[in-house]
Amino acid sequence: MPDAIATPGNASLARLPKALAQVNALVLGKTHAVRLAFACLLAGGHLLLEDIPGVGKTTLAHALAHTCGLAYQRVQFTSDLTPTDIIGVGIYEREHGQFRFHPGPLFTELLLADEINRGTPKVQSALLEAMAESQVSVEGETRALPAVFTVIATQNPLDLAGTHPLPDSQLDRFLMRLSLGYPDAAAERALLAGEDRRALLRELPARLAASDLLALRQQARAVNTSAAVLDYLQALLAATRDHAEIRVGLSPRAGLAVLAAARAWALLAGRDHVMPEDVQAVFAAVAAHRLQPLRNSSRESLAAALLAEVSVRA
Amino acid sequence: MSAAAQPRPDLRSFTLLSLGVAAALALHLPHLPLWLPPPLLLLIAWRWLGFSRGRRFPALLRYALILALPLGVIATYGTLFGRLPGAALAVGLLALKLTETETRRDVHIGVAVAAFTLMSALLFGQSLLMTLLVCAALWPLLAALTALQPGAGATRMLLREDALRLALAVPVALLAFVLIPRLATPLWGAPGLAQARTGISARMSPGAIGQLLIDDNPAFRVGFDGAIPPRAQRYFRAVVLWHFDGHAWTPGDAPLPLEPIAAQGAPLHYTINLETTRQTLLPALDMPLQPPAGTRFSAARTLLAAQPVDHGLRYSVTSSMRYVLAPRLDAAERRLGLQLPMNADPRARALAARWRQRYGADAAAIVDAALRMFHDDGFRYTLLPPPLGRQQVDDFLFDTRAGFCEHYASAFVFLMRAAGIPARVVAGYQGGYANRVAGYLLVRQSDAHAWAEVWLQGHGWTRVDPTAAVRPDRISLGATAAAQGSGAPWYLSGWWLGLRDRIDVINRLWDQAVVGFNALRQRGLLARFGVDPERWQSVALALGGVLGVVMAVGLALALREPAAATDDVLGRAFARLERRLARAGHRRGAGEAPVAFLTRVAAALPADGAGQLRRLSTEFARLRYACTPSASALAARNWARRAREFRP
Repeated sequence: MPDAIATPGNASLARLPKALAQVNALVLGKTHAVRLAFACLLAGGHLLLEDIPGVGKTTLAHALAHTCGLAYQRVQFTSDLTPTDIIGVGIYEREHGQFRFHPGPLFTELLLADEINRGTPKVQSALLEAMAESQVSVEGETRALPAVFTVIATQNPLDLAGTHPLPDSQLDRFLMRLSLGYPDAAAERALLAGEDRRALLRELPARLAASDLLALRQQARAVNTSAAVLDYLQALLAATRDHAEIRVGLSPRAGLAVLAAARAWALLAGRDHVMPEDVQAVFAAVAAHRLQPLRNSSRESLAAALLAEVSVRA
Repeated sequence: MSAAAQPRPDLRSFTLLSLGVAAALALHLPHLPLWLPPPLLLLIAWRWLGFSRGRRFPALLRYALILALPLGVIATYGTLFGRLPGAALAVGLLALKLTETETRRDVHIGVAVAAFTLMSALLFGQSLLMTLLVCAALWPLLAALTALQPGAGATRMLLREDALRLALAVPVALLAFVLIPRLATPLWGAPGLAQARTGISARMSPGAIGQLLIDDNPAFRVGFDGAIPPRAQRYFRAVVLWHFDGHAWTPGDAPLPLEPIAAQGAPLHYTINLETTRQTLLPALDMPLQPPAGTRFSAARTLLAAQPVDHGLRYSVTSSMRYVLAPRLDAAERRLGLQLPMNADPRARALAARWRQRYGADAAAIVDAALRMFHDDGFRYTLLPPPLGRQQVDDFLFDTRAGFCEHYASAFVFLMRAAGIPARVVAGYQGGYANRVAGYLLVRQSDAHAWAEVWLQGHGWTRVDPTAAVRPDRISLGATAAAQGSGAPWYLSGWWLGLRDRIDVINRLWDQAVVGFNALRQRGLLARFGVDPERWQSVALALGGVLGVVMAVGLALALREPAAATDDVLGRAFARLERRLARAGHRRGAGEAPVAFLTRVAAALPADGAGQLRRLSTEFARLRYACTPSASALAARNWARRAREFRP
């Protein structure tokens, strides 16, 4: 490892495997998704979990928050939720003779935004602005959010009645979109036999702290990306732009997102450099929700097709 | 001068230009007058120092030097015209050109002048070595031009690029060499060139052969049909000298009939490749039986070409090693063979008279007496004899007693004639050096030799080598070795000899293929491809056609492989490995990453190969994705080597 990486980061790095193992013990049979979720956190991105209810979205979010030792708040999005409900509000206090700001649940390290598509566009955009800027403006005053501020949002893609689907511009705020899917037979059997996941969660210790996460993020940014990897990534981006099935290709920001995620993925593998394999591992999770297909093909299958088509030059 | 408006060249291109100028000076060094190179070298160094500090050369000094140079050349040669004065002038002016090089345009002109001066060095020698040296000297000049271009890279890159450019120019140069019509006579008569005769000449004045003995250039090469005859029998006669004026030996101009010959024993066939001599004398092994086509015999059976040999000559001769030449002596020959200059060298005449008295008509006894004298009476073999006075033969025989073949041959023939035995001097070459690699005999100018022939009743003209009586090893080792008075010197032994043999083979090929490629041979070669060098359309068509094809192929290659410009050793090595694995049935999927591919293949291999491939794969990942490009060049080559050695 090059000496550019600071020693506290290495201590944090040493704690990562246990953190991963603990989340995997809570969310059974989803090692790849769990690893991706960790990569998302290490890359400093927000995570969108999209799946039908009951496959463990919220469990995963809780497990991540708890294991990473982050202070977290949960907000259930509904159609009557207002921006002030999450941001907070200034209340006049008679004894001081002035307005005092009462911060909402947004002012936390990890925000779980359940069923984000049930919120109104107004609330959604308020949240997404906070995600993009890492700060909020309330009554003319700018208030910073905690340094590790991260949003894990969930949504149900099928039950669309009374929902406000996130527009593409706002989907772009999420570094990754993950689906968990049904657990495989063995995992489901273990799940049925075991005790309640939430109860289990409370007994387990935090494996990381906010400071660890910050150090790891810094370390992930220092992971080396060689010319060969950048060439490959650029070829992938270019391929999305003149693909017959894709209406709008990936933006340069999407490219940066893939790169950041690939760096975090490499760090999780204990490497100080990105390989094309890392790009391939994170590509679908980072890029699929940013692709706009021309026809009715799924975004995930498009991403997989791109990976299979674009050759990796040695 | 509009120097202020013109951009000043950077120090690098000026340095490269100075190097090219110095190289041109070095290549002309052997034939420049001694006084010229040191000040020129100083001038180049001084000018370079001045330029590097941004100074201009003092204009007055420059004008003074420009005036002084031709004056010095005239003082040396008496003229400004001719090959040698021209070279001195060109080199001097080239160095002076540096003093006024202030702008980029000046560098361009300087490069052109330097290139011309370099080319003129080929007027003095066209050996392979010289040609290579001229090409090498073009290198810094080309780099000087490249360095002027905007965005020129590091000097190492520059030199590499220009080496490539020079290499790429070779096919075009070859094409032009073969196709551009050659003239039977030189385009411009470089004056000194036509007069510069080399080799044995038809006049043996004191020191004439002595000059040759220090000349290591090849005179000719002989390929024998059978074994090379022993050294002691390798006498190549070039000219027979009858007339002595007390100072020099000449052939004389009396018309004589061809001497008859009675050959005994098996004749010897051989082919001689004569270097350019610009004379008509053709050496042949004693004793040629028939003149080859295009040549004729002198009366004393030396070969004469119809015209001076200007481009080398190849001829086949048959000789007899055992013969009786002129069993009966022609009256005119007898007269010539007894001719002596009037009143010269009385002491030698007196000595001959004493022998005559003692041995009477026994010619063989007199010959013996003379040889015994040379052998026993303190005669010395040296290439640097003391100077002789007006009575040459007397001074040599009785005072200095030191000299080389021409002294001994001259004195011996004088003594024989004075004793009444018909005798003559034969000049030519003796010995030569058998090339063990290619099986031919190399005869150098330093093998030049003079010996005597005496006419003996019943034996005809008989060869006598008085030098052999003084120093038998002159005949067994060669002139230089004999002069050094020791056995075989270091350069006549062991590996060095083998190396010299090989170099000489290369030189012979070069001489035959390149220097000897004249108008006649060009026509012969081109006719085979249906090109007529007399018609310019035909040549232009051929030149344009072949060049067009070459350039089209080059262009196609350049367009096909845009990545070839970047020097990606690792990428190319991986591609090779990938092709080999594909042949073995392991194909990389379209989107499969290199390391993932190698890992997958390794899993399908037996343990030994798998381990190797995994190591290659790990190392590849480290080099490709973790290292900075500059640090990994060596490691990349190392990886490429190990990948080559990998056997799936």
